Amino acid sequence: MGGWFSSQPLTESENSRVKIIHSLARWQLDFNEFKESQTLVVIDFSATWCGPCRFMEPILDAMSNEYTDVEFIKIDVDELSDVAKDLNVQAMPTFVLLKKGKEVDRVIGAKKDELQNKIREHRA
Amino acid sequence: MAVSGFEGFEKRLELHFFGDDPIIFQLGLRKIVFESIQQVLEAVQCTVVSAVGNSYFDAYVLSESSLFVYPTKIIIKTCGTTQLLKSILPLIHYANQIGLTLCSCRYTRGSFIFPNSQPFPHTSFNDEVTFLEDTIPSNLCHRKASIMPSKSSSHSWHVFTAHSSITHRNHSDSDIFTMEICMTELDPILARKFFRRPGDGKTGDSAGKEMTELTGINEINPNAFICDFAFDPCGYSMNGMDNDWYSTIHVTPEDGFSYASFECVGSVNDNIAHVLRKVVQIFRPGTMSISTTSNDYSNEMLKKMVNAVEPLGLKCRSRAVDRFPASETVVFQTFMARRRSV
Repeated sequence: MGGWFSSQPLTESENSRVKIIHSLARWQLDFNEFKESQTLVVIDFSATWCGPCRFMEPILDAMSNEYTDVEFIKIDVDELSDVAKDLNVQAMPTFVLLKKGKEVDRVIGAKKDELQNKIREHRA
Repeated sequence: MAVSGFEGFEKRLELHFFGDDPIIFQLGLRKIVFESIQQVLEAVQCTVVSAVGNSYFDAYVLSESSLFVYPTKIIIKTCGTTQLLKSILPLIHYANQIGLTLCSCRYTRGSFIFPNSQPFPHTSFNDEVTFLEDTIPSNLCHRKASIMPSKSSSHSWHVFTAHSSITHRNHSDSDIFTMEICMTELDPILARKFFRRPGDGKTGDSAGKEMTELTGINEINPNAFICDFAFDPCGYSMNGMDNDWYSTIHVTPEDGFSYASFECVGSVNDNIAHVLRKVVQIFRPGTMSISTTSNDYSNEMLKKMVNAVEPLGLKCRSRAVDRFPASETVVFQTFMARRRSV
C-alpha cells in the first residue's frame, strides 16, 4: 500500500547499474573522469517529489543493465542543486548525455523510447 | 458522420483537497507515490505514455488523455470509453493516507458523438450524477448538476459540482479561470498532419515533437515546455507546462468523427485572444464550444473571445451561463463555421 512519504533520499536499487551521486566532491571527481573517457554518460536529474521521475526509474534501471557500455548516473536536483542549475535543468526528469565531458544530447521528460534511441545513437 | 468510431469527447474530473498540516501541504498530493497513481489509472483503464514535472506540478500524457497533479488539486481528463469516475474512491483513499481531505469535486463533459458506445455509468448524465452522488463523501454537501444547452440538442455541456461548507479558496484565485474548448469537424487537410507517416521509423515521442512544430502548437504559448506524443496510426496528445500554468491538447483526426480539444488555465491578464486565434488556425473546426469556469465572468472577457474567433469565420451561435455552489460560474458558448450552410 503506497503511503510512505517520498522525502527519503534516492537509494540504489539492487538490480541496477545506476550510480547515485550525493555530493559535489563526488560529482567533480567523476566529471573529471568522464572528460578522459569515450564512454557515453547518461545523467538522470530527478526529484523525490516528482511522480514522472518515479515512473522512469524502473525503465532506467533496465536500460542500465542492457547497455553495459554506458555509464548511468542519477542526481537529485535538491541535493546537488548547483549542478542542476549549471546544466540548466528546469523540468524533470531531464536526461543529459555526455561524451568526454561535453553534452551531446538531452531528453526532457519521461520519454523512454526517445531516451533509448538517443543512447543507441551516441553510445558508439 | 460515421456509424461508430473513437470517441474524442472527454470526461473531465477536477478534485481539490486540503490538509491541516502545513508541512504536508507544501507538496500535498505530490506525496502520493507514483505506484498509487498507477493503480488509480489501472482502475480507469489508462496507462502513462509520457510525463514531466516541474516545481509546481506533475503532468502525465495518458493512453487516453491527461492527468495533472498539483499539491492541492488533481485534474484527470480521459476520452474513449474510459470509466473516469472509478478514479474517485482510490484517489480519496490515497489522499486520506497522507492527511489530505477532499473539499471539492467538479465533473464536466460535452455531448458524446457516440453515446451508445459508453459503458455504465456514462450511459447518461442521470446515471453519472447518481454515481457521483453515491460516491462523493457527504461532507461535500453543496451540490448541483446542470445540463447547459446550445441551439443544438447534440451539443450540450454537462456539469456536476460538489463542495464542502468550508471554502479553501485564495483571493488570488478570483482572476483565474479554466477554459475547455471542444472542436469537431476539423479541416481534413489540417487533420492529416496528425497522422503518422507509415514507416517513418520515429518513436511516438519524436513524431509528436514533429507534429507540435509542424502545426504551430508550440506557438500558442512559446514559453511553455511541451510534452507531446503521436499515436499510431494517428492521434496526438500534449501537455504544456509554464511555471504553474498548464495546457493540454488531444486530437482524434479521423474524418467522420474528427475531434480536438484545447484546455488551459488562464488569468484575466492573459492574451486569450491570441490563444484562441492560434487554436482555431491550427484546427479550422466546423463547430467549436468554449466553456469557462471561474469565480465570476465579465462580459468584456466573453466579447474578447467572440471577437477573436469571428474574423476567422466562427460565429457565436449560443451562450448559456449557470452559477454553481461556492461561487463558481460556468459559461458555455458554441460557435459554427460560416462555411457550413446546413
